[in-house]
Amino acid sequence: MTRRPAPPPGAARVSRSLRSGLRRAVLIGGLAMFTVWTLFPFMWVLETSLKPNRDIFVEVSLVPRHVSLQHYVALFHQSEFLAYFRNSAIVAVSTTIVAMIVGVLAAYAITRLSFRGRAFVANATIVTYLAPPALLFIPLFQVAYQFRLTDKALGLIPIYLIFSAPFCTWLAITYFRTIPAEMEDAALVDGATRLRSLLSVFLPLSLPALAVIALFAFTNAWNEFLFALLLIARDSQKTIPVGLAQFIIGDVFQWGPLMAAVLVASLPPVLIYTLAQRWVVAGLAAGATKS
Amino acid sequence: MVTVLGTHPLGGAQGRPWKERVLGRDWRMAWLFLLPLIVILVTLIAYPFLSGIVLSLQHKVIGGPATWVGLQNYRALLFGDQYGALFRKTVWISLLYTGTAVAAKLCLGMGSALLLNERFRARALMRGIFFLPWTVPSVVVALTWRWVYDGTPSGLLNLIRIQMFGSQTLVQFLADPHLALWSVIGVVVWQGTPFYTMMFLAGLQSIPGEQYEAAAIDGAGVLQRFLYILLPGLASTIVITVLLSTIWTANSINFVYVLTRGGPVNATMTFPMFAYDIGIAGARQLGMAAAVSVIFFPLFVVLIYFLTRRMLAPEAQA
Repeated sequence: MTRRPAPPPGAARVSRSLRSGLRRAVLIGGLAMFTVWTLFPFMWVLETSLKPNRDIFVEVSLVPRHVSLQHYVALFHQSEFLAYFRNSAIVAVSTTIVAMIVGVLAAYAITRLSFRGRAFVANATIVTYLAPPALLFIPLFQVAYQFRLTDKALGLIPIYLIFSAPFCTWLAITYFRTIPAEMEDAALVDGATRLRSLLSVFLPLSLPALAVIALFAFTNAWNEFLFALLLIARDSQKTIPVGLAQFIIGDVFQWGPLMAAVLVASLPPVLIYTLAQRWVVAGLAAGATKS
Repeated sequence: MVTVLGTHPLGGAQGRPWKERVLGRDWRMAWLFLLPLIVILVTLIAYPFLSGIVLSLQHKVIGGPATWVGLQNYRALLFGDQYGALFRKTVWISLLYTGTAVAAKLCLGMGSALLLNERFRARALMRGIFFLPWTVPSVVVALTWRWVYDGTPSGLLNLIRIQMFGSQTLVQFLADPHLALWSVIGVVVWQGTPFYTMMFLAGLQSIPGEQYEAAAIDGAGVLQRFLYILLPGLASTIVITVLLSTIWTANSINFVYVLTRGGPVNATMTFPMFAYDIGIAGARQLGMAAAVSVIFFPLFVVLIYFLTRRMLAPEAQA
């Protein structure tokens, strides 16, 4: 936005420079405050993860005196963290793949095919996406028991589809709507089947958007806590959020390794979102996340 | 628009078989494509939803048989001696928790979006920094803050009080019943604000700059420009953001679970935590826990109804 200076009638010039100074002060002060507020917990995590236990509990100081990697070593060698990490990765990747396939097919049908009940399915999709899982967790807990989905990481995948499938469908709908129908009609006139046109015209066009939807689906599953907590008790099957939340429940508060774990566990989503930030913001507007 | 279709070169409703006239041109393929989604919606959402309502009318302990008790669970929650008072407290705390957190996120989100909307160097970097808390998994955020709030001299806030302000006492941010709820809300706000910031920033940037400039030239002050140009331009973004955030904030169990487990003395008992406590952790009364969710359901139906209408708006125009 460019500010064209209005012709200043005499005295107004002084107040203008005063005002621009004030504007600068507010801007810098505000930014500084928000930056400190945002960053201090991260600094504290980093610092704790690098301080030896003695500096954490005995001779505590705000500024670190010694640096050690012992908590990282402990995290990878003396805890189940690697198993949690692997479980989280498997669950999040599988959920994303299945949800994307389900979502793309459904969104294609809803935006491009003509059939009775279209509006109803579209509405049902968005309502189920918005409906908070916390309202359903008690009965779902029972259903998961009936289907024997408890106590294995893979059992979380169908449960996670509850929110990721409607979510992927809804976001794919919002994107598919922007693709002009003419592009596909041309292919259909040439004799391509619907499935062929979906695969050869539609998907290549929407690949970048679909990648962003997949990122959202991945991080949503990566971060999920409630159902993992309800359904998994065996340590080797836990995902990162549950594994870490119960790190603390043990007899000793292992803050050093825990903060190292916090750092490692945050890396995938933080990297993904930071790299894809520009597209993520556009996706947010469609209601892209639950956290 | 003329729809030309390879499969129906003749087009026209008269030429079609009756099934296509009733069910729509592409009904076969459409339902085939929708099948996986519908299976998920029915088995994992509709079925649990209905079974939740049935469950709320039963007395059922995990692993035990279910007996039909009618509305007894609801009566116990709303008027009973054992759970009545706690349930009413839960309702109040849920409202206070959600209301305060959403209001704080709204104000901070608006403030930070207005700052980031200004032109200055390193703006992209600042935007990345402001965005960070939202990208971290919420359980991880809660663990981090549990350590920040720690009630020993090792916790960051107590450490700062001792070393920088010479304090002799320790503050129990999460164990003091008067402080705990506010401490939890602080964490919710810390993580949730960037969502508002980003939504508002995107909204601000879609407001045409000329309007704003014209008002500035006409002598409108900062406050006037905010009230008469930016705020109306953002109205719809604000509504959607607040509705989405209200639903998620009210229903999230993660922060409360990790930070306080609903304690101390139920000072942070929001309703999902309460349902978890009586259904899974403590009394193991599944029926009663299901009733808690069902009681709160109408509230979210209303929110979702308004939100759905807003979010489907583009389709209505198409």
